[in-house]
Amino acid sequence: MSDIFFLVLRRMRVPLIFLISVYAVSTLGMTLIPGQDADGNVWHMDFFHAFYFVSFMGTTIGFGEIPYPFTDAQRAWVLACIYTSVIAWLYGIGSLLRLAQDETFQTAVSERQFRVSIRRIDQPFYIICGYGETGELITRGLAEMGMQTVLIDQNPERTNSLELENLLVAPIVLKADITEPKNLSSAGINSPFCRGVIAVTQNDHTNLKVAVASKLVNNGVPVICRSEIQDEADNMASFGTNAIVNPYLTFAKRLRLLTQNPALHRIQNWFINQSSAEHIDHKIAQDGLPSGHWIICGYGRFGRAVYEALAESDIKLTVVDADPIAQMAPQGTIVGRGTEAKTLREANIEDATVIVAASNDDANNLSILITAKQLNKDIVTIGRVSHETDNVLFEHARCDYIFRRSQVIANQVLTIISRPLVARFIQYSTTLSPKATNDLIQRISNLTHHRAPSTWRLVISAERAPALFNHVDRGGKITIAQLCEHPRFTNELAIPLLLLRGGMSHLLPDPETQIQLDDELLVCGRQHKTILAHRLRDNHELVDTLINGNAHVIPLIRWLYRRKHRPARVRTDNP
Amino acid sequence: MNFEKVVFAFFIILAMSLNFGFFIGEIAEPAHHHPYELFAALVVSLICTIMKFGDRTQFGSTVLASSLVVDGLLIAAAISWALATTGGQTMSPMTMASITSLAGGALIANIISVILLIIETSQVRK
Repeated sequence: MSDIFFLVLRRMRVPLIFLISVYAVSTLGMTLIPGQDADGNVWHMDFFHAFYFVSFMGTTIGFGEIPYPFTDAQRAWVLACIYTSVIAWLYGIGSLLRLAQDETFQTAVSERQFRVSIRRIDQPFYIICGYGETGELITRGLAEMGMQTVLIDQNPERTNSLELENLLVAPIVLKADITEPKNLSSAGINSPFCRGVIAVTQNDHTNLKVAVASKLVNNGVPVICRSEIQDEADNMASFGTNAIVNPYLTFAKRLRLLTQNPALHRIQNWFINQSSAEHIDHKIAQDGLPSGHWIICGYGRFGRAVYEALAESDIKLTVVDADPIAQMAPQGTIVGRGTEAKTLREANIEDATVIVAASNDDANNLSILITAKQLNKDIVTIGRVSHETDNVLFEHARCDYIFRRSQVIANQVLTIISRPLVARFIQYSTTLSPKATNDLIQRISNLTHHRAPSTWRLVISAERAPALFNHVDRGGKITIAQLCEHPRFTNELAIPLLLLRGGMSHLLPDPETQIQLDDELLVCGRQHKTILAHRLRDNHELVDTLINGNAHVIPLIRWLYRRKHRPARVRTDNP
Repeated sequence: MNFEKVVFAFFIILAMSLNFGFFIGEIAEPAHHHPYELFAALVVSLICTIMKFGDRTQFGSTVLASSLVVDGLLIAAAISWALATTGGQTMSPMTMASITSLAGGALIANIISVILLIIETSQVRK
């Protein structure tokens, strides 16, 4: 408020002084110039009448010569006054209009609106720095979850399009430079509702700056950064950035998993990509990628990540790059872009099983994939999409597995934010034996009829699950199995995936485990299917009926039964 | 030497001087107080007020406040004058006394402005 107010005052100084001077001189002149009354006596206008006359003259509301008709000298003065006062008004109003169009003024106005909307936030929110393709996907994902977001981006063109999108929760947008710490503060980093800062600009160094600033301004707020360069990532990690997302490494790891343990990849794929599904050929998702001979076209950040992830396996890797020396490509690299048949033949495309189009040019990648398919129609194609909009072209080209950088980052960030237990599960799932993995897939498939499962987190806390909390707190017993399958519902409804108890994760917990206070349980089940635990969470009556066996409908009998069968409080040591 | 400062100091001291010029004289004697002086004091004071617009310093806001006091009192004096002389009435000594005392109040506020100006100037020198 004060900024705008002071800006207006400051800019209006000269026009206002000019206006006052014109009025003062006009009024003074009117009182000084002699007039004539009806009887021909010399008469001087007093200040009151002079000011009255000048006021209505200046605003050109109407004219009248008061209280007596003017003399010629008075009329000549009035003539001068009319023009000067009109100029003074035009100048004043013009300055005001110019101020309204002024960029500084507009910035001040929009900053004020932004601050007001930040102050009005009364729910948890995330600050997203950089509204590129990745930022857009994350914003959309968060909006779908009903989460408030605050966007900071300097480019108004991208953020303006947001207004036209009907997001469930409208993001609050600030057009400002992210690297200025002041903007982070005004975006509400110190607000008690701020749940985290997500830095996903194109530029690693900018992300690093945001991470540093966030940690300095408010150390308690979690920071998630996008980083594609190892140096910067190490730097970010050094001061406690909470999560660093590198899409190339992530995807390369997935490729390795897909060749070595496709079953596990399938499980991870189910759980990571709940926000937007990846484009992957069904057969590959089922059986994994063939080993044998791989061709990697383009040895940039992505190509290198794939190469390094697969280097120790028994896969024979051939790299194709236009400038192997500059990219420090491994020995035996074939020089060329891979877009021509000649280069691909040189790389022995006829025996190759997989081709990865890893360059940073979408058109080149498409060309590589199409040429490769022509030369070897059985080859599996993996393509990298740099621009989200080109994704459709890759789908048309029947690319088997598409790497969309923004999507990989967005899915990972959303998983970290909204489903911490899923992130944990994926981290620990690598310890599963192949047999256990296959069993799990079988169980999930039976449960969901081969559709992608959805996960759900149950927290035994007073706010999140009051009925269950109460039950357990009073010494009541309930096992995980009871939560997932109850005597009344014969078939299994959900599979417990992970139990987090006292900071320790228990992968695929024993169904007979008793639930304790503050347990966090991750279960997966069919999409849009409510499981019993959903209802038990906050329904005291249902807990009473189903678990305690108190099936009485009449409240008095129910109450009496409950009194009789109340379990003894176990936590007596608790004051 | 800052030209803007000169202009501002000029106007603020001029406002005080004009105000004093109007104020001085027998309190209830209309012949001692000329309406042109009141007019000049009011106009200069208005200009002083506007010159302090948008100054966010502590000094600026105090000067603005005292300037606003001056404007208020002088406008009140001018209105009383206009009311007292409508319809060809002659000025009564009592009205004249109240107009003069309003101008006296404005003079105090003007003096405060000038004192603040002096304080600020001496601080700058340090």
